[in-house]
Amino acid sequence: MNRKNFLSSIIPLAVSPIAFHNKTVSEFIKQIPSYLKKGDVIGITCPSGHITLEECQPAINKMKEWGFEIRVGNTVGLKDFTFAGADEERLKDLQQMLDDDSVKAVMMGRGGYGAVRIIDRIDFTRFEQKPKWIIGFSDATVLHVHINHNYGIATIHSKMCNSFPEDFAKAEPSQINSIDSIRQCLVGERMKYECTANELNRLGEGIGDLVGGNLSIIENLAGSVSNLSTEGKILFIEDVGEYLYRIDSMLWNLKRSKKLSKLKGLVVGQFRIKPDDPGEEFGKDLYEIVMEKVKEFHYPVCFNFPVGHVKENYALKYGVKHRLVVGEAGAILFDH
Amino acid sequence: MTIIPPYLKPGDKIGLVCPAGYMPVEKYQTCIETLYDWGFQVVVGKTPGHQFNYFSGTDKERLDDLQQMMDDPKIKAVLCARGGYGSGRIIDQLDFKKFIKHPKWIIGFSDITVLHSHLFSNYKIASLHAPMAAAFNDDEFKNQYVESLRDALTGKKANYKTETNELNQTGKAKGILVGGNLSLLANITGTPSDINTKNKILFIEDVGEYIYNVDRMMYQLKRSGRLDHLKALIVGSFSEMKDTAIPFGQTAEEAIKALVKEYGYPVCFGFPVGHKKENYTLKVGVKYQLNVSDTFVELKEL
Repeated sequence: MNRKNFLSSIIPLAVSPIAFHNKTVSEFIKQIPSYLKKGDVIGITCPSGHITLEECQPAINKMKEWGFEIRVGNTVGLKDFTFAGADEERLKDLQQMLDDDSVKAVMMGRGGYGAVRIIDRIDFTRFEQKPKWIIGFSDATVLHVHINHNYGIATIHSKMCNSFPEDFAKAEPSQINSIDSIRQCLVGERMKYECTANELNRLGEGIGDLVGGNLSIIENLAGSVSNLSTEGKILFIEDVGEYLYRIDSMLWNLKRSKKLSKLKGLVVGQFRIKPDDPGEEFGKDLYEIVMEKVKEFHYPVCFNFPVGHVKENYALKYGVKHRLVVGEAGAILFDH
Repeated sequence: MTIIPPYLKPGDKIGLVCPAGYMPVEKYQTCIETLYDWGFQVVVGKTPGHQFNYFSGTDKERLDDLQQMMDDPKIKAVLCARGGYGSGRIIDQLDFKKFIKHPKWIIGFSDITVLHSHLFSNYKIASLHAPMAAAFNDDEFKNQYVESLRDALTGKKANYKTETNELNQTGKAKGILVGGNLSLLANITGTPSDINTKNKILFIEDVGEYIYNVDRMMYQLKRSGRLDHLKALIVGSFSEMKDTAIPFGQTAEEAIKALVKEYGYPVCFGFPVGHKKENYTLKVGVKYQLNVSDTFVELKEL
């Protein structure tokens, strides 16, 4: 093979995947999508699990009450076993929402499983030029991490359509406040979250971009083009339905891949833990499991933060710079 | 080149340890007796029969026991009595200095996948993905799968023949064999124990997982490039699979098939490796030839 041919065959390889992997966050000009005004359109799409239109109705009503218009995507109500439609259908719906300039924010119908099956086929070209808010959590962590890592565009980690109470009059204040925090994020209010004092917290202060999400998803993205980068950041984690030993093993994955080494802070959200089977008691609780991984570091650690698969699950501006202050009297997180 | 630890001779000592979950004394007696019947001696470490909550000892105790067995020149192979969970908690504290100079066979599977992958990725030392102590119980110590461990330890080359499966992708391939438990392979991604699958024959198995999670882990392998450049894929047993309230709509095998059908390399399903009785000994890091034909599947050690 002559040199010219050699070069022409190797260049495309070198430009696409390799440069992609080596891109660091500092190379991005971080983008915050435009905040929403009255009359703006919020799209609803389901890249993961199935949900009915009826189940989305409380969210639709509430967001209309906030002054927004709603565009219901084709996947709402669609069902292909556990999924909200076949991969092609979910991909197409999300792609359309991303590309439609009249849609200013996209809320996921629910989590479940399925985003990772389509993420590599989503074309983010238009979205990168005209970013909009992507809203959701749990399986939507795939979207948050992928977008943050590859495009540096801020997103909103929050409850989705399936978490809006049918009757707000009967809902708990923490749930109502959690839902309202989505609106606050969307219209550009400065966010401030307060967390009661916890003797297990490690005191301190840190400033960094807020990243993280569902721990199982973070582990699942390791090694891929959606890999979470945590250096210089405040990391938050939450999970649901996992055994303590699994949480332990996932945190070992983070530790052994150096994702816990250079944090500015660690925010431990809500973990709805699957109880140990009889005779298989793990013998360490969540606090011990976390602290044994981070004891050698010095950044602040805040436990029991209201984010996760619970009613009190505040909207967080993902990828946006935050300041975490963990003090004797409690912890405060606010966008910086 | 892969470093092959010395094969065992009659009278050689095998160390028995538990680097992960607790194992009661009565559960590994038949294993010990069988190893003696095979002509070996057995040195039982401090962790078998020992318990600290879920584990067979504290991290320190499990680490020290495994370290001692690895370093003791009189021990010629180390059999992990069971898996469970816990090897990943101690692996980074193991000191491989002596072991590299005097490699020996590390035996086990499931959680022990961490050790297999770590040894081969970092030191190019072969190890045995093989039945552990419980597989010897209930009169099963005479079956061909347990016997395959004896053959592997004494240097007899394997030639496994097995039935065909309608999901198979036919073809022939030669390559170094790597792999193990899918959950563990996913869990070590990005860590110093990570698996390198390029130009390898990859084998995977799992137990007790949700089908959607098998699918998700397969996507992780795929998205991290671990399926792109295989010589072949061996899918072992995916036993005791669980499904969600709304069904996934595919078996674990069908989900795997959907993800690898685009590749041209041979793929075989239902290979006898995994958390069932049908669990042949495989040498991680050793070259094999796989022949997936229309009528049979053959995995031959080269």
